[in-house]
Amino acid sequence: MGVEDLQIIMAESLKSALKEISENKDATIIANGTDMMPRIRDEGLKVEKILDISALDKELSYINVDSNLIRIGAMTTVSEIGSSNVFNGSLNAFYEVVSKFGGPQIRNRATIGGNICSATSSEDFIPLLMALDASVVLQSVNGKRTLKLNNFVIGKRSVNRRNDEIMVEVQFSKPGDDYLSGFEKIGRRNILIINLINMAIVMSLKQRRVNDVRIALNRVSGKVPGRARLTEGFLNGKEIDGNIISSAREKLAEELKLSSDFRASADYRIHLAQAILEKLLNRFREGV
Amino acid sequence: MSNILISVKVNGTEREVLVEPEDRLIDVLRDDFGLKSPKEGCGTGDCGLCTVIMDGKPILSCITPAFQARGREIVTLEGLNNDPLMKNIETSFRDHHAAQCGFCTPAMEIMGYDLLKKVKKPSKEEVKVAISGTLCRCTGYYDIIDSIYDVGGTE
Ligand SMILES: Cc1cc2nc3c(=O)[nH]c(=O)nc-3n(C[C@H](O)[C@H](O)[C@H](O)COP(=O)(O)OP(=O)(O)OC[C@H]3O[C@@H](n4cnc5c(N)ncnc54)[C@H](O)[C@@H]3O)c2cc1C
Ligand code: FES
Ligand code: FES
Repeated sequence: MGVEDLQIIMAESLKSALKEISENKDATIIANGTDMMPRIRDEGLKVEKILDISALDKELSYINVDSNLIRIGAMTTVSEIGSSNVFNGSLNAFYEVVSKFGGPQIRNRATIGGNICSATSSEDFIPLLMALDASVVLQSVNGKRTLKLNNFVIGKRSVNRRNDEIMVEVQFSKPGDDYLSGFEKIGRRNILIINLINMAIVMSLKQRRVNDVRIALNRVSGKVPGRARLTEGFLNGKEIDGNIISSAREKLAEELKLSSDFRASADYRIHLAQAILEKLLNRFREGV
Repeated sequence: MSNILISVKVNGTEREVLVEPEDRLIDVLRDDFGLKSPKEGCGTGDCGLCTVIMDGKPILSCITPAFQARGREIVTLEGLNNDPLMKNIETSFRDHHAAQCGFCTPAMEIMGYDLLKKVKKPSKEEVKVAISGTLCRCTGYYDIIDSIYDVGGTE
């Protein structure tokens, strides 16, 4: 790893993890390390003190449904999400995220908490969870607080976590049975983490008209993920047809404030986002 | 630098081993336990060649810190030597000439094994998905896919 005198604190329970992080605020949390380990090796990330929470899978790996509220523990893996039947129907997009996520070995380790907290601007669960208006639950020795995901992920590699907190859960209300959801991403190769763009849409159709649509992307402004509110506003109440789709594409281009980097130009990314939007809307028009 | 004493079950035997904080699981398996079936291709999670089974699930040992193996159960290809399903898979790989240099073979066989444990008669599509995180630079994949596919339904 990065340094010679690396200190590892191994937490065997949530209680001890919270105590350790309150006493070692400079420690870097490691869940299952699928994001962190390649960074240490490839990007020369320097860490001196690690708080290992991988053993918290015993407590924080769960998918609970409390009436309408779905609660996913931070240590739940992508594979566990894929093999749960909680997401059938209106939350089908979860299975789409899973099937496009890394390879099977990565899915067996990648946690949803790690996915949200790494916030690389290409994390695949973030747009879908934002489209669901999800909240994260952060815990410290002093208690819990709940924060909307869009107030938590504030930039590339930047989250609103106090340094004595551990993220324990992500939660959201299950949309009604008449809702549809979809997820798409475009990158060079599925199993490589770095996608150029990804997008999730959740909506329903009422008398063939778009209702309560939420569109979220891994980037809406610079490298910050978020909702495409202008496009949403335009689509609500409209009946999807070819003209509406092409106007929606224009709206999306208008509101995305992206920049070019060595992977792709801003224009190309916008073009991809428009293509995904069209694809998903066409799918929803068919009711799937 | 303080070493960490961990207990881990490896191929059925409880072991204790002193690991360095920066050791990865692959280092401990290859260097301390002499288990050479996990190969290091990329070291960054992209090639799948370091695949081993942890608590019943295939994972990448090159991006798993060694200290995270504490209290877990690890199985490498060596540990499946006498497993009837793995024997069938190995025979099928031989019959199909699915190993050229052989560097990817342990990982491919483990991914085939994991699939066939879950799905008795997988489709070719399911086989492709199972090996989608594992690279082969020699065979062009078809022989590997056929090898795993043909074992399906024979149990
Ligand atoms: C080959 C490969 C393919 C990948 N493919 C994809 C892909 O297709 N899509 C995708 O989105 N990602 C992908 N990833 C990235 C990564 O696997 C995921 O982001 C994964 O979900 C991270 O989870 P983890 O438990 O391994 O996180 P870790 O690496 O352990 O942690 C990641 C970050 O989150 C923080 N953290 C983790 N858990 C918590 C917590 N509970 N509380 C507070 N902070 C926490 C850590 O401090 C760290 O900064 C890929 C990675 C690799 C190596
Ligand atoms: S060596 Fe582990 S994935 Fe390549
Ligand atoms: S046989 Fe050589 S890499 Fe697969």
